[in-house]
Amino acid sequence: MQVSFTRTGGFTGIPLNITVDTRSLPFDRANQLRHLVERASFFDLPAALPAPALPDRFQYEITAQKGDRQHTVTVSEATIPATLKPLIDWLMEEVRGRGR
Amino acid sequence: MLDHIIRHGDEENYNWALETLKASEQFRGRRKAIGNISFAVSPGQMKRAIYDAKNGTSLPGVLVREEGDPPSEDEAVNEAYDGSGATYDLFRDMYGRNSIDDRGLRLDSTVHYDVGYDNAFWNGDQMIYGDGGGRLFNRFTVSIDVIGHELTHGIIQYDAGLIYRDESGALNESFSDVFGTLVKQRSLNQTVDQADWLIGAEILAQDVQGVALRSLKAPGTAYNDPVLGKDPQPKHYSRRYQGTANDGGVHINSGIANHAFYLAAMAIGGYAWEKTGKIWYLTLRDGLRPRASFKQAAESTIFVAGSLYGQDSNERKAVQSAWQQVGVI
Repeated sequence: MQVSFTRTGGFTGIPLNITVDTRSLPFDRANQLRHLVERASFFDLPAALPAPALPDRFQYEITAQKGDRQHTVTVSEATIPATLKPLIDWLMEEVRGRGR
Repeated sequence: MLDHIIRHGDEENYNWALETLKASEQFRGRRKAIGNISFAVSPGQMKRAIYDAKNGTSLPGVLVREEGDPPSEDEAVNEAYDGSGATYDLFRDMYGRNSIDDRGLRLDSTVHYDVGYDNAFWNGDQMIYGDGGGRLFNRFTVSIDVIGHELTHGIIQYDAGLIYRDESGALNESFSDVFGTLVKQRSLNQTVDQADWLIGAEILAQDVQGVALRSLKAPGTAYNDPVLGKDPQPKHYSRRYQGTANDGGVHINSGIANHAFYLAAMAIGGYAWEKTGKIWYLTLRDGLRPRASFKQAAESTIFVAGSLYGQDSNERKAVQSAWQQVGVI
């Protein structure tokens, strides 16, 4: 499974993005990712969970590809489902952990 | 119960309920509970309250410092307290404004929001600050201009109501950066020549290659880093971003209007919060509609400068020239 993630907006206005693949992740991290995607019922989420544009809030775009299934979800920080937040937090850990 | 009376009761009940609520400790932090009724505290009196979210996302969190309390051991608490105070003072002392809503609104701030949260924002009622993830960004209270920026978003909400998309959104961002940097310059007592004109200089983590998040003096040069990429801000209207990302580039195209302010302030000279800041403030308060364009903002600042200082004044010419140099007019 491959997951692409982009965060835009926020005070900094600096977009951050990363693509991860369970085939190249360490075993534990790959298992966590599969679990979090499942826990979010990611493939059943609506494609857009929009909110009115608000100053300095984040927007996230996540695309997951598993076999021949692919789904993209765009979500505003103000409308993140509780079940999706752990996946976003996990993806941000990957962004921060990336080598400089 | 009280809330119900305030909204639905007769006038006598209303006044009783209002006084009771005002006297009640419970009222603290519960402004939302009483809907759209806005009570001014005594005019011109600053009221601050700082809360700690303790790395959760429930708002406002635990009250940790109120107006007049001694400093906390937590530097984020003190930075939020001092920075909101410096912002309040700029708008009161220089422009005669009575807090964010011009009706004495209490300044509420929550620090330590979420875990490693790379952001600060005004949520319509209060300011919220994250600790930053550490690797890319430090805590967001560390730069006083960030605090001034967030409170200005609050002022814009009450006055111009600039819609957070495309040019009006970039103006919303730019006015927030302008007054953010003016709060910093005034707190350091810097003239236009002494100021660094940077936004978020202290927020970039040590290893990041850059000097700040944005530069009003030289948009597009604040950082150039392997992880963060390069500062995308243009300083000329012909180079504006026309895509849809970031609500139509609100944090990108703000560089154009930011640079216009910088050029006007440099030409007018002295302390930027005095004449140039006043022109921008009166424009924001009285001269912009929610869907204002860059061109309308330019015309409005030129009009205000002419009204304040005269049609043939150097101030008016400086403002006009600034917008011409960035290609807006």
